Amino acid sequence: MSDKGNTPGGIPENMPHHLSERLDENLTLIKHLFAFPDNTALIIRNLRVPALDAEAAIVFLEGAAEPKLIESTILEPLLAKPSLPYQQPDKLEAVLREIVTSPSGKKLVELQVLPGELLKGNTIFLLEGEAGALTLETPGFQSRSVTEPQVEHVLKGPKEAFIESAAVNRSLIRKQLKERQLVSETISIGQRSAKDISLLYIKDLADPELVTEMKKRLKAINADTIANLSILEQYIEDRPYSLIPSALLTERPDRACSFLMEGHIVLIMDNSPTAMVVPVTFWALFHTPEDQYLRWAYGNFIRVVRILAVFVALLTPSIYISVSTFHEEMIPTDLLLAIGATRERVPFPALIEVLVMEIAFELVREAAVRIPSIIGPTIGIVGALILGQAAVEANLVSPILVIIVALTGISSFTIPEISFNFAVRILRFIMLFAASFMGFFGISLVMTCVITYMVSFKSFGVPFLSPLSPHYRSSKDLIVRPPVWKQWLRPFNIRSQDSQRKNKPEGGD
Amino acid sequence: MKKGIIAFLLACVALLLGGCWDKLELEEQAFVVVLGLDKAPDGLVSVTFQVANPQVGSSDKGAAQNEPPSDIVTFAAPDILSAKEIANSVITRKISFAHLRTIVISQAFASSKLFNHVIGSSIRDPEMRRETNLIISRERASEFITRNKPRLETRPHKYYAFMQERWRDTGYVPFSTLNRYFQRLGRDTLFLSIYGTTKRVKTKYAREEDQYLAGEIPQQNGDPVQIMGSAVFKSGRMVGTITGEETRIALFLRRKSMAHSYISSYPDPLNPDYQVTARVIKDGNTRIKMDLSRERPDVQVTLPLRAQILSIPSFTDYAEDPRKQEKLRKSIEDSLKAKIDAFIAKIQQTYECEPFLWHLVARKHFWTLKAYQAYDWGAHFSKAKINVTIRMRIESFGKQIGPPLPLEIEEDQAG
Repeated sequence: MSDKGNTPGGIPENMPHHLSERLDENLTLIKHLFAFPDNTALIIRNLRVPALDAEAAIVFLEGAAEPKLIESTILEPLLAKPSLPYQQPDKLEAVLREIVTSPSGKKLVELQVLPGELLKGNTIFLLEGEAGALTLETPGFQSRSVTEPQVEHVLKGPKEAFIESAAVNRSLIRKQLKERQLVSETISIGQRSAKDISLLYIKDLADPELVTEMKKRLKAINADTIANLSILEQYIEDRPYSLIPSALLTERPDRACSFLMEGHIVLIMDNSPTAMVVPVTFWALFHTPEDQYLRWAYGNFIRVVRILAVFVALLTPSIYISVSTFHEEMIPTDLLLAIGATRERVPFPALIEVLVMEIAFELVREAAVRIPSIIGPTIGIVGALILGQAAVEANLVSPILVIIVALTGISSFTIPEISFNFAVRILRFIMLFAASFMGFFGISLVMTCVITYMVSFKSFGVPFLSPLSPHYRSSKDLIVRPPVWKQWLRPFNIRSQDSQRKNKPEGGD
Repeated sequence: MKKGIIAFLLACVALLLGGCWDKLELEEQAFVVVLGLDKAPDGLVSVTFQVANPQVGSSDKGAAQNEPPSDIVTFAAPDILSAKEIANSVITRKISFAHLRTIVISQAFASSKLFNHVIGSSIRDPEMRRETNLIISRERASEFITRNKPRLETRPHKYYAFMQERWRDTGYVPFSTLNRYFQRLGRDTLFLSIYGTTKRVKTKYAREEDQYLAGEIPQQNGDPVQIMGSAVFKSGRMVGTITGEETRIALFLRRKSMAHSYISSYPDPLNPDYQVTARVIKDGNTRIKMDLSRERPDVQVTLPLRAQILSIPSFTDYAEDPRKQEKLRKSIEDSLKAKIDAFIAKIQQTYECEPFLWHLVARKHFWTLKAYQAYDWGAHFSKAKINVTIRMRIESFGKQIGPPLPLEIEEDQAG
């Protein structure tokens, strides 16, 4: 079947738009749509409803609907209810309102929405003599139970993480955010296999323009199907070729909630163990929930450690290169002589040395992600010990390089957000080349470009470095944070409708 | 997008054109850690380079067994930078002054007219740094560098780094860098530089341990270098020397001094056979007041001090008797004042200028620099009436207050 013959609902154009009054005709249509009898997943159960004295059929997809639920909420009531005068004149309405016990269901007459309902795990109830059908909710998709976060660990704070079920994820957010105005809008995207995306925001906080813009971007997506949020992110981001991400994926419901409370939008989708937060700023990528959960001094301590780590991860190799090839006078004499002594036996220039070690480290890192977890632990030993030590022994690199690369690697692990992490790791190589050409001058040149770019970059209309620059009023929760009771302002750069979290505290500023 | 890629590639090409030309790997350079300057015939200067060998004493990994810790070579050239070029005909690596911290200058060269020109022109080289320390050696600088074989330090730069820190503590020598030299080239002030030698001239045994000049300290064994006292420069030329004690006084009389405490011994007022050792600490800035209206300027100097008595070899119980304390205090004050007055008189007569940086105070009395220059502070200083007042208090008597033996026993033995 060619795509051109398909309507948006995935129905061939030559098929009727509405259901017929005849049960067997309807069943034939459905069978045709689902490639029955090749497709054994389509299950059709014919039955006679004694209450209405009519032939009927229920249709569902194996694996999508839960048979036990169908049995208890649909089949049992249908077969057991005696023939009574029902108050609804319409037979299907009567079944829906007075017989079945499903928590939700609705009547439909158009054929083109029917396959979508089946694919969602709903059960279709067809009745002889009625040009319509009932869709009853009986979801039966398998998913794992809620577990601890795999990426965003905290020592202190909630330990629940999102899973691959959108319903569970929405429930996790509802659980944390008992908020009347928390809206969960559903938008369906994808042409062939439509997927539902839940748009969560707090109606009287989030900027209405932002919500409109978000919906516009979602509707503009031109794709066959969207597998999950990670793919969706790439469809709706501001600059696809940028090193800087314009959305944040978090697996922590508490994090998603705190963003909601600031007026951000959270997107949730089936098959994504994460929630997507837009818009994002540098600070969202740099902060962790732990910063707020720990007491003021401790939280700020780890923030300072992390900002230091960002610079170490970004600059250490390039500083080493520029200091050792352009600005020797900056190294203490003892260290200079020690480096010089070991460098004498290394055949390569310092840049090659650094590149060899950095690439080796990136290899170890990539291998550690791809390796089956059962042989994972070996990679640490092989990578760290053998590579570093052996390279030094073989006079391939000088010993100081091992320290530099190790320090850089460790520091890059402290960057919590994976997109930001990649950005820093890639920028490090750009810095390295700039430093090897022009020393500190090159580093400052690239740094200037990076900062200029970050200042001008916008995620969904919000400047990336705001509220620091351009300056907006906020609770000053940037590099360091004030005590929680002083954070009474919502950041103005998000253009939240209510700028205050609470009244200004005594002594707060 | 295509445009973007082209722009990026062009930018990368520009990057290749931009830099690299002064890029040099560490091991391709020879780091000069000590530079020596001597007089050479025909108006040339003889430059001695002490080049550190990274492979000795720095890292176990790259250690070379049969190499010396440093290489010393001497060349005669018109100036330092041309000597640096010539040196590369002998030394395989590119000579770098990036880690040059010490310049040794022979007394003979420092006294010559050529010195100021050689050192003044060398500063144009960005590698010559103004915080380089200056040492004036009694003998030829090349000899000083060759003979300086410290026993505890393998690497030459470490010896100078450690020594310079000690010198700052003791105040026997001034803090002398190239920068200070250039700052104090004017006719209104004297520049003091570290004075040292590896030779022993005459050993004199002084009762007070700081009245020495380098080479005079009674020493047995140990390192050959003695650093004591200062060389006095006037208008960029060395004109004389002062002893360690005089250097300390000169540093103390400055308004703010870098060496703010030193340990010295003074006569014991109650028992003239003994000395009392005390640490004298500057208790705030020296206050200098001047009246420049008269032909003989009137200079009032107040020196606030506090003293920590460290040892009383006579076992007198100063700590327990306030009247004796007062006597001790007065005696130390008097002895200090006598020395200071004598030193100021000597400076006034000999140099017609002062090393105390009082010219900075004098300069404030003039509206314009022209007026100050016309005044000629140096000439007026030499006839100035200078009155130094010492305000000293005794701060402590050490950890153990009383004498180690009970006094009665000593009296019993005496009786």
